[in-house]
Amino acid sequence: MFNYYLKSGIRNLRRNPILTALMVITLAVGVAASVSTLTILHVMSNDPIPHKSNLLLVPVIDNAPLEDYVPGERTERQMMAYPDVANLNALKIGSNRTTIISIKSSIESPNPAFGLVDIGGIATTSSFFSMFDVPFKYGSAWSADDDAKSAKVVVLSEGASEKYFGKENPVGKTIRLEHDDYQVIGVIAKWNPLPHYHNLVQGEDEFISDDEIYVPFATAATLKLNVVGQVWCSYGSPQPGVAGLMNSECTWLQYWIEAGSESQVKQIKEQLDAYTQDQHKSGRLPRQAKNELLNVREWMEYLHVVGNDHKISTWLSFGFLALCLVNTTGLLLAKFSSRAPEVGVRRALGASKRDIFTQFIIETMVLGFVGGILGLLLIFAGLWLVSLQTRQLAVIAHMDTTMLMTTFVLAIGSSVLAGLLPTWRACQVTPAIQLKTQ
Amino acid sequence: MLRMNNLSKIYRTHMIETHALRSFEIHVKEGEFVTVTGPSGSGKTSFLNIAGLLEGFTTGDYLLDGVDVKNLDDNARSKLRNEKLGFIFQGFNLIPDLNLFDNVDVPLRYRGYNSAERKERIEHALAQVGLASRMKHYPAELSGGQQQRVAIARALAGSPRLLLADEPTGNLDTQMARSVMELLEQINSKGTTILMVTHDPELALRSQRNVHIIDGQVSDLVHLSPSLVAA
Repeated sequence: MFNYYLKSGIRNLRRNPILTALMVITLAVGVAASVSTLTILHVMSNDPIPHKSNLLLVPVIDNAPLEDYVPGERTERQMMAYPDVANLNALKIGSNRTTIISIKSSIESPNPAFGLVDIGGIATTSSFFSMFDVPFKYGSAWSADDDAKSAKVVVLSEGASEKYFGKENPVGKTIRLEHDDYQVIGVIAKWNPLPHYHNLVQGEDEFISDDEIYVPFATAATLKLNVVGQVWCSYGSPQPGVAGLMNSECTWLQYWIEAGSESQVKQIKEQLDAYTQDQHKSGRLPRQAKNELLNVREWMEYLHVVGNDHKISTWLSFGFLALCLVNTTGLLLAKFSSRAPEVGVRRALGASKRDIFTQFIIETMVLGFVGGILGLLLIFAGLWLVSLQTRQLAVIAHMDTTMLMTTFVLAIGSSVLAGLLPTWRACQVTPAIQLKTQ
Repeated sequence: MLRMNNLSKIYRTHMIETHALRSFEIHVKEGEFVTVTGPSGSGKTSFLNIAGLLEGFTTGDYLLDGVDVKNLDDNARSKLRNEKLGFIFQGFNLIPDLNLFDNVDVPLRYRGYNSAERKERIEHALAQVGLASRMKHYPAELSGGQQQRVAIARALAGSPRLLLADEPTGNLDTQMARSVMELLEQINSKGTTILMVTHDPELALRSQRNVHIIDGQVSDLVHLSPSLVAA
């Protein structure tokens, strides 16, 4: 019977093309508006590493002075001070750890076309690549031994590799950063997690990465590469340079801990609490504030990666969809009312109320499907217009399979919702009256 | 085939109660051709609607082909209507967007027949009413008489036990009316029970039995000679 109702639905929509077009356009505009904003929200609130987002953890330790402290208040210092990083590394907390700091350096490009250029990147540890599942096109990450020896090695992004070495494999070649030669030991394949969750607190954009080089953290500290990003200092200014920051209570590092399993997360939290109590006893961490251990999703929420304005836009667009649905309901009521004689005949010939309900709901689903197709075209046009606004929106405003499916589910679901009242009214037709009045 | 005992039908609004049928008694035997006559507002249509399970009744009993319909839900009533009854209306009531084939197909779809069986039944029913060659035509392309023949084919396609006809010739000229009446008589002669509401005394005389309704009650039963049926 489904095919019969489907054909009947298509035929009935073609019977009154103007009314049908009005309904399809109303539905398509509503769906397009809501899915466009939802698409942006979807990308912004995307889980960038779903298979281990519960296992990648950011510890938040409040090391600020006691003055102005309101007990229970959440700290604004989302980064870590180097003494805590060094201590937690020494404790070997979790199954893996990494430290991240953004760097800027000038590079003497092997490609004479570029000359001396500024380049951005990350100073981190060898575990960074395995913790964040970074894929490699050529070569590999540096080793823990390279970390320990402050080796002058560098991993390039795919873009940087192509920019400075063309299509050839640059592994084994050298590039000159500031005044030192670094050996290229790996090239990262296309890697663009959205949002860029791994390094959110150092003034970087959540969705656009300009990272072209990755060097060992110890090397960056030793060779005094320029670190960039936010630095919070509550106990006076540090000594100049990276060494000064490392010897201070300033918070400036992004620190991640990886848990080997869900059960280890609790253990890490207990270790973290024990550590901060010890530190307090030894004279640090005067606030004794409650520590936090946030997984990837909690961390993005903590940093308000999805702004309130985007959430409000999404709510507003769904309000608009609701308005469109009310209009569609009105149009469907008019359309289905005119079909009362047909309902009367079908009921007399053996259709139950359930049969009539199924027939009319399938007809509204056909309407929703057509509305979904038109809505999809409008969404692509809308996202294209949005992407012209800023570089960030150009990255965010794209449709994936999930949102494509969402469009049709929303369009068909909305049409069914809009069709419920008209369909119910159609089922209430008294056949005897209709048959007599024809 | 059809038995109503002490049946009543009351229409209620917040102000008025209207007794459409009261203490209504009728028994139609299998294979009979019964006409129902009576003045306007006498309750003929209410009787036919109740007989056709299109409306419920207030009190009393109604047995259709041995099935007590009083407590049946909508699904069961629809199934019974589809399997046992065929309808012919004064206004033909064909679906204008469907061609003749698809119009006749409607009740068969609800019966759940497969495609091959539906096709065979539709072709046979349309051939029976002389419209086999016009299956792909739409109702608007036919005369009133032809449309009524399609309605008869639609009613016959499901092999109903009882054919309910509500003034089937009311919208037709004399010649077409006669032709439709002859068709109904042929159908009855093959064993299908027919219950027909009519205003036309001449047509009433052609049936085996005439039931006259006044003020919602059977006032008179006239048994006619079977020879008249064949005439």
